[in-house]
Amino acid sequence: MTYLRQVWAIAWKDLLIELKSRERFGSMAGFTVLAGVLFNFAIDWTAVRPDQITSALIWVTIVFGGTLGLGRTFELEARDEAFQGVLLTPVPRDALFLGKVLSNYVIVLAVTLLVLGVFGLFFAQDWSGRPLLLVATLALGGLGFVAVGTLFSAVSSGTATGQTLLPVLLFPLLVPVVIYGTGATGRILVGRPLEEIEGGLRILAAFALGALAAGAVLFRYVVED
Amino acid sequence: MDKLAARPPGSGIRHASAALALTGLALVVVLHWMVFFWVNTEVTMGIVQRIFYIHVPAFWVAFLAFGIAALCSAIYLWLRDERLDMLAVAAAEGGMLLTTVGLITGSLWGKIAWGTYWTWEMRLTLTLLLWFIYLGYFMVRGATQDPERGARLAAVVAIVGALDLPLIHVSVLWFRSLHPQPVVLDTRQPMNLDPDMLMTLMVGVLSLTVVFAGVMGFRYGLERGRRALDVRLARREAT
Repeated sequence: MTYLRQVWAIAWKDLLIELKSRERFGSMAGFTVLAGVLFNFAIDWTAVRPDQITSALIWVTIVFGGTLGLGRTFELEARDEAFQGVLLTPVPRDALFLGKVLSNYVIVLAVTLLVLGVFGLFFAQDWSGRPLLLVATLALGGLGFVAVGTLFSAVSSGTATGQTLLPVLLFPLLVPVVIYGTGATGRILVGRPLEEIEGGLRILAAFALGALAAGAVLFRYVVED
Repeated sequence: MDKLAARPPGSGIRHASAALALTGLALVVVLHWMVFFWVNTEVTMGIVQRIFYIHVPAFWVAFLAFGIAALCSAIYLWLRDERLDMLAVAAAEGGMLLTTVGLITGSLWGKIAWGTYWTWEMRLTLTLLLWFIYLGYFMVRGATQDPERGARLAAVVAIVGALDLPLIHVSVLWFRSLHPQPVVLDTRQPMNLDPDMLMTLMVGVLSLTVVFAGVMGFRYGLERGRRALDVRLARREAT
């Protein structure tokens, strides 16, 4: 119980800061809406039907917009060396990592909801077909993305180049999430049977679990000093 | 005597490794003779299949190299012995080189056999991604001022990169794929490969392994010398 309380304490601290500053969510939300606007002008809608590419567009927007926010996970604390204070608390490193993942996950889920709203509005996409399956796909894919993203955000913030390194480190690892996320989402949107979707969901779940476990183990080596 | 002029550590291993690499290169010459003049031409794919004797061993040895890099990185995080980090760097550089060779030879083969230099087939995609992951490994190392921190962060990247390796091999079995199915490492049926072809492939694996071992040893010796020199220079500046 103490462990879960520690995870929650870290997550709540970050969410409170975010609630007050809205620094990360603000830029992610702006990016999401503007990406929707640009996609509208970049795509010839007489050549493609929205349901053929919406799944790809929402995943790319979530990954790009999410990376924007994940890159700043440690920035605020690093600025005035407050992170040293966090490291001095009796919270184990893995609980610290899971807390950071939890707070990032809440922010990315909020961005995902915004993406669904914006893309539903701009491209007249109806999400009400199978909402539970859609939520499961986005939630599982988002968890894997956030787990890997939080670990590599810590890695890149330890370098001189900072955030600019994050996409180079993160995107190659996210390919399974994008492949199975867009695959499952696309099939849900065109009403394919459950058997064609559950394989993708299982892999997304396995990726998320693997990423959480690897991150929890390796995080302590990233924030050692 | 000036301390900087003394023989730097790692020069012994450099000489031994250079000899090993030259032996490997001699074996590579033998391999090329076998590929061009000795082994039979494969019936379906024709003469272009001969590039497999370079392509397949290059990837096998590249995966071995990335495996060594990840293993050394993991043990480095545990024991903090700097030599393990140097070995990881040396192995990862060899892995990058061999993956590049594998990707180029694969592209050349693909142009003839598939009609295109590149296709987004899963195994190709993931191999390219692995190449990018290790590019990140070197970028992290280069972007940190403190070498110890660079080694630590790069080790984390190498371990996560290695977790990607099994996915590469399994992906070809999961997906309906353009890529030829494994012939030698297929556990589902007894091996069905002409003995001469198998022999050529094995000479390919042996020669590239020896070249890799030599280059890795040489690079390790160079890295030891470089770090020792850095320490001496820092000491000299301090006094």
